[in-house]
Amino acid sequence: MIDLAQWKAGSLEIWREGDGPTVGYLHGMVCAPGRQPFVSELAGRGFRVVAPSLPGYSRTSPSVDIRNIHDWVFALSEIIDVAGLAGAPMVASSTGAMLALELAAVRPEAFSSLVLVAPLGLWRDDRPVADPFSTTLSGQRALLTKDPAATALFFDDSAAGDLLVDATIQRYTARTATASLVWPIPEFGLAERIHRVSCPVTLVWGSGDQIVDPSYADAFATRLRDVRGRHVVNGAGHLAEWDDPRAVASLAAAALV
Amino acid sequence: MKTIWFHLMPYPELPDDFTSEHRSVWVDIDPGLFDPRVGHRMYNEYIDELEFAASVGFDGVGINEHHSNAYGLMPSPNLIAASLARTCPDAALVVLGDSVALYNPPIRVAEEFAMLDCISGGRLVAGFPVGTPMDTLYAYGNNPATLRERYHEGIELILKAWTADDVFSFNGKYSKLRYVNCWPRPVQQPHPPIWIPGGGSIDTWQWCARAGYSYLYLSYFGYKAALKTMQGFWKCVEDAGRPANPFQAGFAQFFGVADSEAEAIELYREPAEYFFNRCLHVYPGFADPPGYKTLATVRNGAEGMVERAAREASERAVQAAKKAERKAAQQSFSAASHMSFEQMVEKGYVIVGNPDQVAEKTIEMAKQLHIGHVMSLCHFGNMSRDLAMHNTELMATKVLPQIRYLWDDEWDDQWWPSPLPAADRMTPSPRPTVSR
Repeated sequence: MIDLAQWKAGSLEIWREGDGPTVGYLHGMVCAPGRQPFVSELAGRGFRVVAPSLPGYSRTSPSVDIRNIHDWVFALSEIIDVAGLAGAPMVASSTGAMLALELAAVRPEAFSSLVLVAPLGLWRDDRPVADPFSTTLSGQRALLTKDPAATALFFDDSAAGDLLVDATIQRYTARTATASLVWPIPEFGLAERIHRVSCPVTLVWGSGDQIVDPSYADAFATRLRDVRGRHVVNGAGHLAEWDDPRAVASLAAAALV
Repeated sequence: MKTIWFHLMPYPELPDDFTSEHRSVWVDIDPGLFDPRVGHRMYNEYIDELEFAASVGFDGVGINEHHSNAYGLMPSPNLIAASLARTCPDAALVVLGDSVALYNPPIRVAEEFAMLDCISGGRLVAGFPVGTPMDTLYAYGNNPATLRERYHEGIELILKAWTADDVFSFNGKYSKLRYVNCWPRPVQQPHPPIWIPGGGSIDTWQWCARAGYSYLYLSYFGYKAALKTMQGFWKCVEDAGRPANPFQAGFAQFFGVADSEAEAIELYREPAEYFFNRCLHVYPGFADPPGYKTLATVRNGAEGMVERAAREASERAVQAAKKAERKAAQQSFSAASHMSFEQMVEKGYVIVGNPDQVAEKTIEMAKQLHIGHVMSLCHFGNMSRDLAMHNTELMATKVLPQIRYLWDDEWDDQWWPSPLPAADRMTPSPRPTVSR
């Protein structure tokens, strides 16, 4: 079920699926509310998954007030309150995982636990996080998942006429929101704050991540207080839950139980 | 009609295998390709050319700003303008311009432009480009999601700094200044004329039309391809209820003049091919980052796709739309890749010929686009200083006299500098002899 709630910037799209204990899902650089296989996979394992779309993505209004990471974190804080996710466990991916960590650093009670798929937020000069935008649209798509077809729900156009125009605008707005989060370097001082994250964290990485090298898992693990597990999904890219929704859903479900 | 001699300042010694061995002329070009000795020679020759152009009768000299770019070697156009302000005593100084969002705080632009206006005695044209994605987002790390807002806020600050009667505080989103107090202040009051160089952004057309700024379409791809863009701008002027004064618009055009058309083709082939086939080798992945375009421009492009698609069978239409979207990232900069000089001439990228032919085509261009300011590129690519000066002299002495008349009896150029009277303007004084 998809609802449009209200938040300070306008509409907030929230996809709820399944029955059971509530768990949040925070998307990364792409999203497809109502259709993304990972959410259904996770819901199928006995959870009520609540997946809000971040500002600028899908039908959630972009906020003109978002200028920097502080504004993003403030927006996420309000969004989890509106979505009823404050204090719940959260599965978060990529840029969404970075935001979840940033929020948990300043609001440690925001989440009861975190399952993070390839979070951004740290930086190593010897293995810089890749720039997902200095490429063509198809090049970007190839960077995000091992199988570019995995993100067809976001990148492909099945609509025609005015709906195609709307879809083009919606995708452009979503990519702009991602750009605002990662441009020019997705590192905003998280290393100085990450010790404040107090909830248990599980780290998941696609073995073929071309955006954030899987070795970053070490950098996160050494800085986080309570890492409960580290997993590699073989054959998956940066957005591992798009490449292999079943594998990531299984790992997340096991971590959440 | 006014003609401005415009320089890009391209690096003249990119290797022959540049396009096959290097990804891009811009952003991540190999720094090892830059020889500072060539740079020394190049800058001095290019300043010579600008000074020569001013001396033989061009109405203005023009320069612009690029970063990490081998075809545009003016990271700071104001430095060049400062030099020209002293050595070109009568020409307008058309700085097109300072990419406002790259100056932090942008009050720096207000100050430096005011300095230039003071040094030159009020001959500055203040250009405020948004800047290309390569310059602003990749080379200078601005965030595409906030670039335009930052740009507009910067211009608001600059204008207020030039015109406020008192010291004021500026509490912007991106600039927070407790004390704004622009010393020096511009000679031209309330401020120098404002020109906005742009591409095809609908919002920029609308903004220029509403605010009464002059719009400059700095395309490298000739007047024939520019018609749709300029028609879009003039429609916005009409919608804004303003007269279609051609001096509110300008266009950049490459020129190659010789005594005969055959000679022109022989003389200008190599520099044109160097520029279009080597200097415009830009990696397509840099051209279209999300957030750079306004939504109105994206919507316009998407609707264009849909219009085309509507004429085709539904399945083919969807494929065409997808293809067009993919090509959007490569538009303009890859358009000229590996083109013959004959094709460049045919498409109007370069206007070549004897002076009469060039004058005739320039008039045709100006009338079609309805422009009063021509940014003429008489140096391009790896053209030698001698050839650039030959081209410039022919343009000044044999073409400009044939095209100057256009628009003058119908329209006032409200966008041209208003300098101090010549008698009141300072010129470099002879140095006194010092006995040692």
